[in-house]
Amino acid sequence: MSSKVLAFINFKGGVGKTATVVNIGATLAKLHEKKVLLVDLDPQSNSSLWLMRPDRWREHVARGRRSTFQIFDDALQGKSRFNFDEAVVKGVVTWTGFTDLTRLHLLPAAVELLRVEERIHELRAPAIFQILESALGVQFKQYDYVLLDCPPNLYSTTKAAIFSADSCIVPYVPDYLSLSGFQVLAEQIAEMREKFAPYLPARRKPNIGALIVSHYRQTGNVFRLAVNELELSMAALREEGVLSDHAVLLQPYIRHCVRVAESTSEHLPVILYAPGSIGAQDYADLTQRFVELFESKK
Amino acid sequence: MNYSDLATKLSQLGERLAKQSDRLEGEELGRLAAKLATHLARFEEQLESFLASRKSGELLLESLLRSPSSKRHLTVPLLKRGLREICAKRLKSEELGAAKREFVELVHTAGKQDQAAEFLQNAFAEAVHVESGGKDKGLLQREFVRLGQLLDDEFAVEIGSRTLPELRRVATVNGIRFTAKTNRQRLIMLIRRYAQRAAFNVAAARVPSRI
Repeated sequence: MSSKVLAFINFKGGVGKTATVVNIGATLAKLHEKKVLLVDLDPQSNSSLWLMRPDRWREHVARGRRSTFQIFDDALQGKSRFNFDEAVVKGVVTWTGFTDLTRLHLLPAAVELLRVEERIHELRAPAIFQILESALGVQFKQYDYVLLDCPPNLYSTTKAAIFSADSCIVPYVPDYLSLSGFQVLAEQIAEMREKFAPYLPARRKPNIGALIVSHYRQTGNVFRLAVNELELSMAALREEGVLSDHAVLLQPYIRHCVRVAESTSEHLPVILYAPGSIGAQDYADLTQRFVELFESKK
Repeated sequence: MNYSDLATKLSQLGERLAKQSDRLEGEELGRLAAKLATHLARFEEQLESFLASRKSGELLLESLLRSPSSKRHLTVPLLKRGLREICAKRLKSEELGAAKREFVELVHTAGKQDQAAEFLQNAFAEAVHVESGGKDKGLLQREFVRLGQLLDDEFAVEIGSRTLPELRRVATVNGIRFTAKTNRQRLIMLIRRYAQRAAFNVAAARVPSRI
């Protein structure tokens, strides 16, 4: 199976990273019958808590054992306690108590991930960047898509995700603060491209494959102008060679939808919780474009 | 409990029941056993149907017909086209709900659920295809930034030679909303204002990160 490993990154918070990962992942599994693994790398554990009830999540990741924390802790301690089959959560438990979306698997995060950054410099590069790929590379092969939900920073955990990914996806909110952040992010990834090159196969280079706009509102000029400024900025970065020619701004833009926010409290992706909502419709259309982009149908 | 837990529970119960079956008796136990047998039969039937539909592509077809994409993009003409292409048949229903039912029935009879699911996936993909904004979109965007970089006098000279349709095209491509009633002067004012902002924002945000 040829899997696509995609890192969802933005060091600006509140841009809809987790919503994008969870809902694209769920839609890929439900409407495209893809086998999907979500890897939660954020100590806030938002993807995990979106898809798991808090009591079940707490029990599952107790002491960080069955979580992504264990991967990094093993690397720091020189041990191999992480067991993928024990850590992975298969499907989403609905209100019936039984699972749905069995093609959607989750590798949950634990709050203990916060401790990783304090100690990770005990390791040397490139070992730091290679942690995820070494631990999960073999497992990734059994999935069509592996979606890595990164924390809102560009520290070691995120760098390890970028190292193991075929491409980076940047969730984006159309405003100036996001624009300035995006430009720095693009430059940072271009730097990583040079830094990682000796350790990666030639065909795999860190790059931004797509930007996804969320929290969009169609009224007035505000968001249209902000998206135009993003497009202008992308063109400028392409000319400078910072951004790849293949990087695209995916449409449709995800509109603000209260049902998506509500679905977090139900611990379900919006396609299961409110399939008729505009949020579910936007994610369904976006996922369609996503599949076209990464499977080069069109 | 999940399906795996349920399977374990049923196996354990089955084993225990098999060992003790000769010793079991009583009205209450018999009544509950009868109820369990009825529920098990219903569950087994549902399970069979689910597994068969998953195998044949019917489950995906059903998911697609109930999906958010269907709510937004599915129409009677699309179903008619689909049925003609997949089964070479004519769809008679004119109302969407009835057309969906008829479509599923005819596809099911022909055993072409896989093809129908593929047809819908492709149709939804076509429906979300977004126009790129025209061949000259990139040019008009660059032009917009350049206009924003001009001094007031230079801008007045440049913009003075543009026709109203040309100004409208620049505004549309660059995200400026206006109405049919928006006059030339107002449009020029909007272009000036937002072109300057774009030029400033795109350039100012280029903070060198290699520090």
